[in-house]
Amino acid sequence: MATIVKEVTLKKGFGPPIINHDIESHDDDPVVIKKVEKAKETLKRVGLPDLKKK
Amino acid sequence: MHLERYSYFTSNFKAYEFFSEGPRGRIRKLVTFTAIPDTDPPIYNLAFGDANPNTGKLDDNVISNNNDRDIVLATVANTITAFCDYFGNQYIYAEGSTPSRTRLYQMGITNLWEVISADFYVFGLKENEWQKFKPYSGNYDAFLIKRK
Repeated sequence: MATIVKEVTLKKGFGPPIINHDIESHDDDPVVIKKVEKAKETLKRVGLPDLKKK
Repeated sequence: MHLERYSYFTSNFKAYEFFSEGPRGRIRKLVTFTAIPDTDPPIYNLAFGDANPNTGKLDDNVISNNNDRDIVLATVANTITAFCDYFGNQYIYAEGSTPSRTRLYQMGITNLWEVISADFYVFGLKENEWQKFKPYSGNYDAFLIKRK
């Protein structure tokens, strides 16, 4: 009888990533380029918040 | 953090991947932190979405409905911590591709608020002004996060 082995990928809490050198950058993906451009425009308009402001 | 998360992978601590597992199968998820040009201090854009099955490119318009939203958002929160551990306490900007997607980010922050607020400054953009993030206080247009 075939046995199904389910890989356990769920963890609890915070933990470090697993290093895998096959993971590629997505900086040049069209969606990312568009989002970065939009973020740049928004930040140019509104600036940064005051971290000390109560 | 008591919430469940998926194992997640990176090669350079800027681009991360993990797999959502649920009734719609195993879905490859991407999280990427990209430096926003001409920002001083440096600000990084957080982009999050599915890997397009044909191109492998990030697609943030897909609604997966894989019944694991909280696990996915907790995993994204883990990538933020990993990014800050490696690159320092940089500003991180996040905005969904649509208002409903931005609300999804807001839900994620709200669900993890107790944990996030202990370690991070979180601001929400409302009426073109950064405000300190408050759970359940209306919708924000974008978010800015910085580890304390």
